[in-house]
Amino acid sequence: MIELIDVEKRFGGVAAVEGISLRVPSGKVCALVGTSGCGKSTTLRMINRLIAHDGGEIRLDGQPIDSVDPVQLRRRIGYVIQHTGLFPHWRVARNIALVPRLLRWPKERIEARVAELMALLGLSFDELAHKYPHELSGGQAQRVGVARALAGDPDILLMDEPFGALDPLTREKLQEEVARLQSSLHKTIVFVTHDMDEALRLADHLVIMRAGRIVQQGSPLALLRAPEDPFVESLLGGLERGLKQAALMRVRDHMGSLGPSLPSASRISIDASLRQGLSIMLRDHAERLTVVDGKDVPVGELSLRRLIKETQWEQPTSP
Amino acid sequence: MTAISKEERTARQGSDKCFVPNIVLITLSLGLLMLLWSVDSVSIAPNRIVPGSGFMLWQALGLPGALLVSVLIAALAALALTPQKRFYSAQLIIIALLLLLMPFGLMVAGALLIEPDMPQARLGVSGGFWCLLFVMLLALVEVRLRLKLSRLWPALLLCFVAAVWWLCALSWLDHVALVQEFKARDAQFMRALQQHLVLVGVSVSLSVVLGLALALAMRRFSRLNRLGFALLNFVQTIPSLALFGLLLAPLAWLASQVPLLARLGVSGIGMAPALIALVAYSLLPMVRNTYTALDEVDEATLEAATAMGMRSAQRFWQVRLPLALPVLIEGVRITAVQAIGLATVAALIGAGGLGTFIFQGLGQAAMDMVLLGALPILVLALLVDASLGALAERLRPEGMQ
Repeated sequence: MIELIDVEKRFGGVAAVEGISLRVPSGKVCALVGTSGCGKSTTLRMINRLIAHDGGEIRLDGQPIDSVDPVQLRRRIGYVIQHTGLFPHWRVARNIALVPRLLRWPKERIEARVAELMALLGLSFDELAHKYPHELSGGQAQRVGVARALAGDPDILLMDEPFGALDPLTREKLQEEVARLQSSLHKTIVFVTHDMDEALRLADHLVIMRAGRIVQQGSPLALLRAPEDPFVESLLGGLERGLKQAALMRVRDHMGSLGPSLPSASRISIDASLRQGLSIMLRDHAERLTVVDGKDVPVGELSLRRLIKETQWEQPTSP
Repeated sequence: MTAISKEERTARQGSDKCFVPNIVLITLSLGLLMLLWSVDSVSIAPNRIVPGSGFMLWQALGLPGALLVSVLIAALAALALTPQKRFYSAQLIIIALLLLLMPFGLMVAGALLIEPDMPQARLGVSGGFWCLLFVMLLALVEVRLRLKLSRLWPALLLCFVAAVWWLCALSWLDHVALVQEFKARDAQFMRALQQHLVLVGVSVSLSVVLGLALALAMRRFSRLNRLGFALLNFVQTIPSLALFGLLLAPLAWLASQVPLLARLGVSGIGMAPALIALVAYSLLPMVRNTYTALDEVDEATLEAATAMGMRSAQRFWQVRLPLALPVLIEGVRITAVQAIGLATVAALIGAGGLGTFIFQGLGQAAMDMVLLGALPILVLALLVDASLGALAERLRPEGMQ
């Protein structure tokens, strides 16, 4: 668990961040979002003491971070940055092995860990382990960056715009990958991004920052439903907000039961999002869709009229 | 994957078809040809004192020999018209061939031009010959760059050529004035060479250690930064001869006041002031390069090192230093080449070295003796330059090339 209590940082007397209080329970993902210079990176970097905080308290699992040796602290925290920060003079395997080596793990354990992580991130050991970072594609390099951050098996992962330098396709793929990993690893993750879609996709807890302060925080759906001011609303997509909200809702939670006959020739998977459902309705000129399960068996119907009548878009199984 | 490489291959073939003539090599070889047929290549003097009379290429080598050399040089130019990789390789072979043929040319010249009844006659090496050597070295650099060879190969080639020349000089080139000068004082030459190497070796190693320490101190205490560089820049502006002179009085005084120092060999003239001056000059390039090298390491990489939990010593030895090393070695290279040249002047204050021959030769108006000092200095500088350059290239992490 990560707790920030009224944290403050001043650079030369000017407050860079002020009154930051937030709590990330173990195994949850928290996204810090805001325009550039709003202090989100500063906040992140105070957690592993790359920057020292000037006021308030930061606790990891109840323990104030200034009571621990910063080096020991950092070895317990994984860290991913935008331009990977891989060491150009080390091969991939050595880069990944960095933290385990610092922790003085035995050699066999390190080798096994490197192989395990490369497999976990979809990196071919035979092909890539002995390459230098400059020989990798952007996506591969960032995967290595994530593998390196996970190598020491830390409970906490900090990511500073981890996918910001990647092309949209690669970025989306890596986001999926991280979501998949998180569903099995259950790390406590704090990440910084200015890509709202990325934040909505990955985060359990969304923190909106402006000028060094937290403007609003809560679950993505809660924020989408009730943005506090125009700034938050514009960050959340302005007029697109409804669609962004629909993207977070599953068909399975909003479908009606199947009548005697199939409602429509247009089909949608039960695992799809409402946003995809709305898209198909527009494309096929259909007010109702047939919901099918994984084996293409009809299991229900999705009706536009019913969706619109759900004035208060109920939150599905809350995480 | 295969599709891309195929595309690349066709693209490369395409670019090969519209060659741009290599102007550098063409200009060099045509200019050289003109010089060789219009300037004296060797000179013959009846003895050491009398100035010699010059001979042209065709007189020195005979017409067939002169034509052979000209054809080789013309081939160099012709190959440069439509340069491709294998043409550059051919040029490399021609250059090596010409370099290797040069001492044999001198042999032929000696046989053709020196009458058997002139045992004192000396074969001098003149303009044309030097031009040939100089242009070949330039062409070698150009071809190396075009072939994207490591600096190691030309260095090895030059070593081989130097060895062949050395062998020829020892066994067959008795008439060449330079060889005669050497044979007249080979023990002295060896001592001077050794002194020169000691001067350079000690001063460069001292300045590497001091330079590293100073650069680190400057990085830590930024106030030292300005002062340090100002001081080092100031030292660099003092003419070398003046610096030697300036050190004379204080060191002599020190030696007279502290007997221990005198016993260690410190005095107003000799090794001590020479070393001090050489180190003082070497510090600026060394410190500047070390400082820049350490400073230029990517900030994000260093931050990642910290964030992963490296201690500052680990970060320095495992990340900052290895990444800075190539630039740092470049600094050592510049420093060493500069020191090899500067150590020449040390002869004036009794520190010995190859400069001795240069100043003696100048005093006696014996140009061949000047060359006996100057040529090894040149070779030394080239060798150090090439080998340290190759080392820096090798140390460059593959990710940074």
